[in-house]
Amino acid sequence: MAMNRRKLAILIVGLLATAAVASTAGASRRSTPGVTSKQVTIGGTFPFTGPAALYKTIPAAELAFYAYVNAKYHGVHGRKIKDIALDDGYNPAQTVPDVKQLVEQDKVFAIVGSLGTAPGLSTWGYLNQHKVPQVLLATGDAYWGNCVHHPCQGSTKPWTMGWQPDYPGEAKLYAKYILAHKKNAKIGVLYQNDAFGKNYLAGLKTGLGAHKSQIVDAESYNVTDSGPVVQAHVVKIAQSGANAFVIFATPNAAITALATESAVPGWNPLTINSNVSANRIFMQIAGQHGASLNGVLSSTYVASQSAQPNLPGMKLAKKIIHQYAPALDQQFASGDNNLVYGLAVGWTFWDALKHAGKNPTRASLMRALRHMNETNNPFIYPGMVVRTSKKRTFPMEQLILEKWAGGAGGDWKTFGKVLNSGH
Amino acid sequence: MRSQTSALGSLLVAAAVLCVLPFILSDYHIYLAAEVGIFFIAVLGLNILTGYTGQISIGHGAFMMIGGYTTAVLSRDHHTNLVVTMLLAFAICFVVGLLVGLPALRLSGVYLALVTFALAVSLPQIPLQYSKFLGGSGGVQSSQTVSNLWVYVAAWSCSAILFVVAWLVLRGRVGRAFRAVRDSEIAAVASGVELPVYKTLAFGISAAYAGVAGSLFVLALNGFAQPSEFDVFLSLQILVGAAVAGLGSLWGILIGAAFVGLLPQVSTSVPVIGAQHGRDVIFGAAVILVMLLLPDGFAGLLRKIRRPARA
Repeated sequence: MAMNRRKLAILIVGLLATAAVASTAGASRRSTPGVTSKQVTIGGTFPFTGPAALYKTIPAAELAFYAYVNAKYHGVHGRKIKDIALDDGYNPAQTVPDVKQLVEQDKVFAIVGSLGTAPGLSTWGYLNQHKVPQVLLATGDAYWGNCVHHPCQGSTKPWTMGWQPDYPGEAKLYAKYILAHKKNAKIGVLYQNDAFGKNYLAGLKTGLGAHKSQIVDAESYNVTDSGPVVQAHVVKIAQSGANAFVIFATPNAAITALATESAVPGWNPLTINSNVSANRIFMQIAGQHGASLNGVLSSTYVASQSAQPNLPGMKLAKKIIHQYAPALDQQFASGDNNLVYGLAVGWTFWDALKHAGKNPTRASLMRALRHMNETNNPFIYPGMVVRTSKKRTFPMEQLILEKWAGGAGGDWKTFGKVLNSGH
Repeated sequence: MRSQTSALGSLLVAAAVLCVLPFILSDYHIYLAAEVGIFFIAVLGLNILTGYTGQISIGHGAFMMIGGYTTAVLSRDHHTNLVVTMLLAFAICFVVGLLVGLPALRLSGVYLALVTFALAVSLPQIPLQYSKFLGGSGGVQSSQTVSNLWVYVAAWSCSAILFVVAWLVLRGRVGRAFRAVRDSEIAAVASGVELPVYKTLAFGISAAYAGVAGSLFVLALNGFAQPSEFDVFLSLQILVGAAVAGLGSLWGILIGAAFVGLLPQVSTSVPVIGAQHGRDVIFGAAVILVMLLLPDGFAGLLRKIRRPARA
């Protein structure tokens, strides 16, 4: 018996020693990962399932765009773009292994367009440490632009970059609108209890300035909450006497909130629905659930295939979807704006890759992305630009306000001028 | 004596394989192997509770969460050495496990399982409530991140140590008392086993194992602890691992841990559509199959192979 135990002890010591030796051994190679003479491989994580699955048409449009570029222009500098889109179900515990798989197993060149704030936060430390570009993220948190030169969570994040206008900037525009059109409004806010919702709320407060005491009720819900929980919050906001109702929520909750609002008798507040949930098809779902949508306010930065079908960009969009993702034709026709969003992001990546040189490296891609001046992206709202510089770390800083008209089968109508949402 | 030698033999083989693996696997596969090690610890812990004292827990994800947040918060606020945070996770979860074990004195079977289930459902809400300290749904980022190899070495070293600890605990007095409680509480009491002590002790040990696993789990996730990482599914994963493993076999636990540790990753590599749903379906089907074909898990199967049924 004693013999056995001694053997065991020796065994464990041996195990530890071997492992320690192993930890010092590490191989490194020089060539740029994901880039061959024929192909550039990129990857991203998206919620094909889970609470944010309504966004799954974004990666589908991106894949369609790369297929189009590969067929029509033979990719970039003769290299076709291959995009590996993995499902993380909006759960960081799945994002991390997914991203590790992309970086270490599939050896992707860059992580492009990954969706979600918490998923992004769970991997940005790792990606920056390994100097892997984490770019054109499909989330509008201020982190992605604010942490390029200033340390966040212990270090700067120069390899991380967003794309769309940031949430606080958008919320500031809503504050301005409220103060201009309903000066003494009593404001009720529904926001998601996380960085995404809080970013918005903070922006709204900044925008209201001295008037922020006009926020009479701010209710938070959790992304995993069920419909009735969200409904209860909306009813509470109605009872607080608010006559302006601002929704900073992901699609499922926003749809519930809009429908609940109309179900509260005698409550007709000025309603603002942030642009993450303002996709026409989400609005129509809300309409089918009884929401009276007319007059709801939001903002946009991509062109609309349903409101602006004659724009060259929208004609191209229709063609690309029809040719490379025909299963989504119906989705496109009914006005799923996230498809246009995906195409627009794909365009920006294509543009940056062209400017990253004949033999792109991860560093040259970042250089190209940090010096963009994209005035010809056909999928974003006419007159807007995607622009970056050393100082300007948010690629898009413009929005235009829009108002819903036409009831459940209606659409957004933009009004006014293109506004600056920047800092 | 013969079974002792063969057990030692299996241990030697397993250890040798684990030592060699880092040299032949790619960095990513080392990471996957580390995941298996993490689930090995958790399944081993649940095995002690369910297998040896017959108490069911479908809330071990909650203990993993406590362990994981212990590591992330201590590292964020105090830059504590990560190995030290693992020890603390072990200690804290041991105490919490004892506390959760208290209702086990009054409840049994399904009712106890429901209590632990409630724990698994409610605990992830706590960081949302105390978001200043626990980061809300934005999560907590440790100040230090570690390489895949680090996690691999740590996970399998802990596995080895905790396996030996479990072996030492279960082969003696305590193990006999645990089994007595499982087989018949009345008979156990009649033979002088102090029921409250051993029932809560089993919970404590089991939770402490889960705590270490949780700590490693968070380190494997780049030191990022976030509530949705610890959803109910994680608890089910551990339970499925234990069911697949069966009772009291190193190889059984290894197979169970590999099954639940690797499946989520394998299923995301399946073409783009509904990978996560695919995972759930495969898990469900696997549980049904295991229950139908291998009611004693792989451990039972291995025993059958080794010792063909006597006519």
